[in-house]
Amino acid sequence: MKTIALREIAHARSGEKGNDSNVSVIAYDMADYEVLCQQVTVQAVKALYGPITRGTIVRYEAPRIGALNFVLRDVLEGGRSRTLAFDESGKALSSLMLTLPVVVSDEYVIRSQRKDHERQ
Amino acid sequence: MSANNKMVRLGCATGWSRDRFEPAADLIERGNLDYLCFDSMSEVTMSAAQVARMEHSDTAPYDPYLEMRLTPILKSAKERGVRIITNQGWLDPQAAARKVLEIAKSEGIRNLKVAAVGGALLDDRICDLGLRFVETGEAVADSRERIVSAEAYMGAQGIVQALRDGADVVITSRVADACVYLGPLAFELGWSFEDHHAMAKGMIIGHLMECGAQVSGGYFADPGYKDVPDLHNVGNPIAEVSDDSVTITKLEGTGGLVSEATCKEQLLYEVQDPGAYLCPDVIADLTRVSFRQAGKDRVEVLIDQAGRPRTNTLKALVGIQEGYMAEEMVLFAGPGAMARAQLTQEILKKRFEMNQLNASELRMDYVGLNGVHREASPRPVNDPYEVVLRIALKTQERHEADKLRKEVDPLAVNGVSGTGKWATSSPSARVRPVIGLYSTLVPRDLLVAEVQVLS
Repeated sequence: MKTIALREIAHARSGEKGNDSNVSVIAYDMADYEVLCQQVTVQAVKALYGPITRGTIVRYEAPRIGALNFVLRDVLEGGRSRTLAFDESGKALSSLMLTLPVVVSDEYVIRSQRKDHERQ
Repeated sequence: MSANNKMVRLGCATGWSRDRFEPAADLIERGNLDYLCFDSMSEVTMSAAQVARMEHSDTAPYDPYLEMRLTPILKSAKERGVRIITNQGWLDPQAAARKVLEIAKSEGIRNLKVAAVGGALLDDRICDLGLRFVETGEAVADSRERIVSAEAYMGAQGIVQALRDGADVVITSRVADACVYLGPLAFELGWSFEDHHAMAKGMIIGHLMECGAQVSGGYFADPGYKDVPDLHNVGNPIAEVSDDSVTITKLEGTGGLVSEATCKEQLLYEVQDPGAYLCPDVIADLTRVSFRQAGKDRVEVLIDQAGRPRTNTLKALVGIQEGYMAEEMVLFAGPGAMARAQLTQEILKKRFEMNQLNASELRMDYVGLNGVHREASPRPVNDPYEVVLRIALKTQERHEADKLRKEVDPLAVNGVSGTGKWATSSPSARVRPVIGLYSTLVPRDLLVAEVQVLS
C-alpha cells in the first residue's frame, strides 16, 4: 500500500452559504468512491479544517455521482459580508481538501502520471 | 415518451452581476435559443445595493450593468424571438423595466413588452411579523434600527405569469437564482407548480446553469489534473430540455468543456444536504441525479423523481448594519522578509494598545503563508522570499476603524527596514461599512409576486 494525496483520485469545489462553507469531494473514477467513503471521514476532514471551523463538520453522500459533500459550519468568520478572512467567500477552501493523505494499492496509477487521453 | 415532445433551449448569459459580457451576444447570434437567462445576484447583492443608495442617492436601484448588457442584444433578441429572463431588477424591477423600454426606444425596437416582477422586498414589514433569525434565534424586531435590507427568495410563479402575459423581457427582483430557468421551463412545458417532481427537475437544471461557465469548464481547471481548453474564451452553457431529456452543452467554437466532472462539481456547488436542497418551489433531492457524456461537450442529465413538496415558508435575507471594517497591507521581500513582517506585527500590536483601539475583531495574516487557509495552513518549511502582512479589523465606530490607517501610514518612516505599502492614495479607501446578513423564514402566504407588464 502507498499513501498519496487525495488530489490524485478526486477533485473538489467549495462554496459559501452564509457563515458555512461546503466542500465537495468527487472521485475521478466511480471505482474510487469506496476509497472516499472509507477514508475521507469527518475525523480526517476535521484534522484539516478543524483549526478554522467553529461549528460542526457534517458529511453527506451522493453515490450516484461518486461524491461526498462536507459542510463546515461557522468557518467563514461571520460570512462573506462581514468576515475579516482574506478569502471572504471560502472559494479557495477546496484546495486544502486535496492535500488529505489517502492509502491506495501499490499498483494504483496516480492521476498526475496518467497521459492526457487517460485523464479525460 | 410523453405526448408533448417540445424542446426548449435556454442559454446562460451571466452567472453573476460582474460576469463577462461576450457570451450573451454570442448566444443570441448562434445559440438558436428560446430564452436567454441572466443571474446577477449573490447573497450580498441587495444589502450592498441598499448601502450604495444610502451613500449616493443617485445610484440606480437596479443592476448598474443592465443597460450595458441589454443594449447590444435587445434588438436581435426581439427579432429572433429570444425571450430574456433576468433578475437585474434588484431593489426596483419596475424602474429597471422602464429603463429597458428606454433602450428599446433608442434602438428602434417596436412592440417590446417588458414585465417587472416584484413582491420580494419586505422592508420595514420584516420587523412586525414576530420572526426570529435562523442563525442566532434573536427576534428580528430587536434589530429594527439597524436593518438596511430585507427580501425573500421568491419562486418562479411571477416569471411564469409574466411570460403568459406575453413579456419579451422579464425583470425580477430577488428570486432564487435557479428560478430564472425554472420559470420559462414551467411555462413552456406546462408544468404545474403542484407537480413537485417537475419543479425539482427545473430547479436542478437551473442550479446547474445559474453560475454561468462553472458548468462548462469555468472555475474547473487544475493543470495536469483537470485540463480545460481555451479557458480565456470559455463558452457559457446551454440547456436543451424536453419532458424526456435534459442536455447541458455549449456553443461550438467556444473554449471550456462540458463533461460529467464539470456537471458533478456544479451539482454540489453551495449545497448543504444534497438530499434536501431547499428551494422556494420545491425540495429537490440532488442525490437522484446522475450524468452521462453524450458527445463532445454534451452531457445528459438524468433526473429521477427528485421532488418533495415545498415548505410553508420562504427564506428571507436581512442585512444589518454592524459597524465598520478596515484593512491594510504592508509588503516585505528579500532576506529576512518574514522576520521583518513579524517585527512589524509586534509594533502594531503595541501601538494599538497605546492608542486604545476598540476593535471587536482583529486579524493579522501573512499573505503567501497563511492568508488564505488561515489557521488551517501548514507551517512553512522555508523562509519565504516575499511576505505581505495584512491587518484587518472591525469596529463599531468609523473613527476607531480609522486608527488602523493612522498606524500603518507612519510605518513609511518609523517602521522596519524595507517596509513597502499596498497603494493607498485616497483617504478612508480601506474603511467600509459592514452589513451582516441573517436569514429568517417568512410564511409563504405573506408574499405574492407582483407582475406588471409595460410596453
